[in-house]
Amino acid sequence: MQQIPVYVFTGFLDSGKTKFIQETFEDPRFNAGERTLLLAFEEGEEEYDFSTYPHQNVFLEVLDQATVTTKELAALAKKHKVERVVAELNGMQQIGDLYMRFPEEWVVAQEVMFADSTTFQAYNANMRNLMMDKMVGAQMIVFNRMEKGADVMPFHKIARAANRRVDILYDYTDGTTQFDEIEDPLPFDINAPVIQVKDEDFAIWYRDVSEEPQKYDGKTVRFKAQVAMLKRDKDNMFAPGRFVMTCCVDDIQFCGIPCRYAGSKTLESRSWVMVTAKISAEKHRLYKGDIGPVLTALSVEKNAVPANPDVAEF
Amino acid sequence: MTKIDIYSGFLGAGKTTLIKKMIQEAYAGQKLVLIENEFGEIGIDGGFLQEAGINITEMNSGCICCSLVGDFGKALTQVITEYNPDRIVIEPSGVGKLSDVIGAVEKVTNDEVTLGYTVAVCDAGKVKVYMKNFGEFYNNQIETASTIILSRTDSVPQNKLDASVALIREHNDKATIVTTPWGQLTGAQLLEAMEGQATLAAELAKLEAEHKHHHHHHHEHGEHCTCGCHDHEEHEHHHHHDHEEGCCCGHHDHEHHHHEEEHHCCGHHHGDEGCHEHHHGHVEEHECAHHHHDHEEHEHHHHHEHGEHCGCGHHHDHEHHHEHGEHCGCGHHHDHEHHHEHGEHCSCGHDHHHHHADEVFTSWGVETHKKFDRAFVEACLKQLDSGKYGIVLRAKGIIEATDGSWIHFDMVPEEYDVRVGGAAITGKLCVIGSKLDEKGIAALFGV
Repeated sequence: MQQIPVYVFTGFLDSGKTKFIQETFEDPRFNAGERTLLLAFEEGEEEYDFSTYPHQNVFLEVLDQATVTTKELAALAKKHKVERVVAELNGMQQIGDLYMRFPEEWVVAQEVMFADSTTFQAYNANMRNLMMDKMVGAQMIVFNRMEKGADVMPFHKIARAANRRVDILYDYTDGTTQFDEIEDPLPFDINAPVIQVKDEDFAIWYRDVSEEPQKYDGKTVRFKAQVAMLKRDKDNMFAPGRFVMTCCVDDIQFCGIPCRYAGSKTLESRSWVMVTAKISAEKHRLYKGDIGPVLTALSVEKNAVPANPDVAEF
Repeated sequence: MTKIDIYSGFLGAGKTTLIKKMIQEAYAGQKLVLIENEFGEIGIDGGFLQEAGINITEMNSGCICCSLVGDFGKALTQVITEYNPDRIVIEPSGVGKLSDVIGAVEKVTNDEVTLGYTVAVCDAGKVKVYMKNFGEFYNNQIETASTIILSRTDSVPQNKLDASVALIREHNDKATIVTTPWGQLTGAQLLEAMEGQATLAAELAKLEAEHKHHHHHHHEHGEHCTCGCHDHEEHEHHHHHDHEEGCCCGHHDHEHHHHEEEHHCCGHHHGDEGCHEHHHGHVEEHECAHHHHDHEEHEHHHHHEHGEHCGCGHHHDHEHHHEHGEHCGCGHHHDHEHHHEHGEHCSCGHDHHHHHADEVFTSWGVETHKKFDRAFVEACLKQLDSGKYGIVLRAKGIIEATDGSWIHFDMVPEEYDVRVGGAAITGKLCVIGSKLDEKGIAALFGV
């Protein structure tokens, strides 16, 4: 079956999606006459104006993202005999819920998120799960309506915390754009004899060591954690870790790393400990056969002062 | 007693700004706790709250998936126990349903703790797109709120404001809608709106009551009014003018009509032809007078006549008596008589009239955020008085002017007063009279 690439534009209402898509279709480099299905799952202030397109093979369909079915989508692609799809998604809906209903032959070629920098932080604070949903899967995030000279760090931090690989573009009110080239130094020194992970940096360290265990192979780390017992290997293994919140209370989960420790039986589940351990990158049942970080304890100090807040965040 | 007010509204609608205004202007002197369930763009700074003696409890669970789960009710109960406040103001998450918040609040209400105002703050320029794209939670806020306060009404074009108000009305035909820029309103006015005292129905009732009062006073010649109705002095005054101008019936209403219609003196009767002629013959006239809503006017008329051309004051009075089914041979009883009548139900005598009044009056009113030009309003009032739109007994309006000031007007037949006054929560036009051409009046004002 012929694959149909889908270009997805996400972001909140008034974030500039329609304007961007409109300009894209006006550009002959993107619009060389390909038959394109334009799906609008949101109708904001901006409207599409086909009169300025170099070719007229764009077919607009306005749909309800919450209820649209796979059948309807496939039928529309067939009806207009399209070779590609451009979709403007509704910011208040979860992207994954729609992707699940994409016909089999539809393949997401690109996902770009738009965010109005004047409302982004408030929206992020109050609709964190919806914002995270848009940020985690995007290849690029465009922060528009930026004032020249404004501090980009708050935007950078939020976007980077959600998605380590995403390209970030700042679109300024004076018409200029700037790619985010800010390097993110880790908040701890991974070349120190003992990597000291502060309580507030646990989530970042956990993510980094999980994503790139090889980088830490053979290094020693010291961090504060709560004790969790593994289902097997109770005798000489436990999993020091923390409850980590990515988005909000609903997604809090325990993030632990398997750790060899002869005295594991003496540990009380959920108690706080200071762990100093050597890291190795190896296969473990927890990683379902993949390579991940596995610790070997050098020392486990009991009765550590609980971290405050006890739930770790990025 | 603790009252719990809820200010819902989407992010950026202006909830915090409104709450701040209410704290400063309307809730002063109350022991108040503010519960915030949202990270606002504008924080209410601690200093301000401290100065106002307000406790702030932040419940920043924040996002849509976890707003109002579990702990909300517990936190609310705790706040009540700990502070025993007069009022709790809740600023819930902008992406939550107002009905959910009300539901949570109702779980803790009892004899001592009651639900107060439920407000939805809506950005006047965003109603349409938000409704279209947000769906349920946004509509729920609008449908559930008892008062809808529009923000930024001065920065959206009139047609957009029209569309926003119309859409809101489609979803909620009961709520009071505030369309006036907040800067022009006092906290007290907003409070009135939230209390449901600033409705059109309330305005019309007031106007009708005033109208009746006036007649009554009129009737008593305004020598001693206890009705506390401020307008009435003017009103009486007005009547006096009429009197002096030599109408036999003294009643402005009539008078005008007489003039304009067929020269009958006893105009009340707009429409009740049979009466007109009677005017000169007291006795009969009298009989007919009572058919009319304004019978006091009629009496009034008599009074004048007594003094002026009629030597039969007693008859006059007499008539009244008859009518009222009582019997009294002397003019003085005229007053008396009323007392009798009214005395039974009401010390002010109005009841009596009310009955009459309700049978014949109709009232028309509309809320509008349209902006008016003063000259246009004056032209409208002249037109209203022309008889083309029915018999207009009184018209009153508080409307925004094209220059952003507010126009207040009062109109009685052959006289109107248009002046600059304070803002109202939204514009209102009210007309009472009989046989009103309501459509025509609406078209006249363009509302």
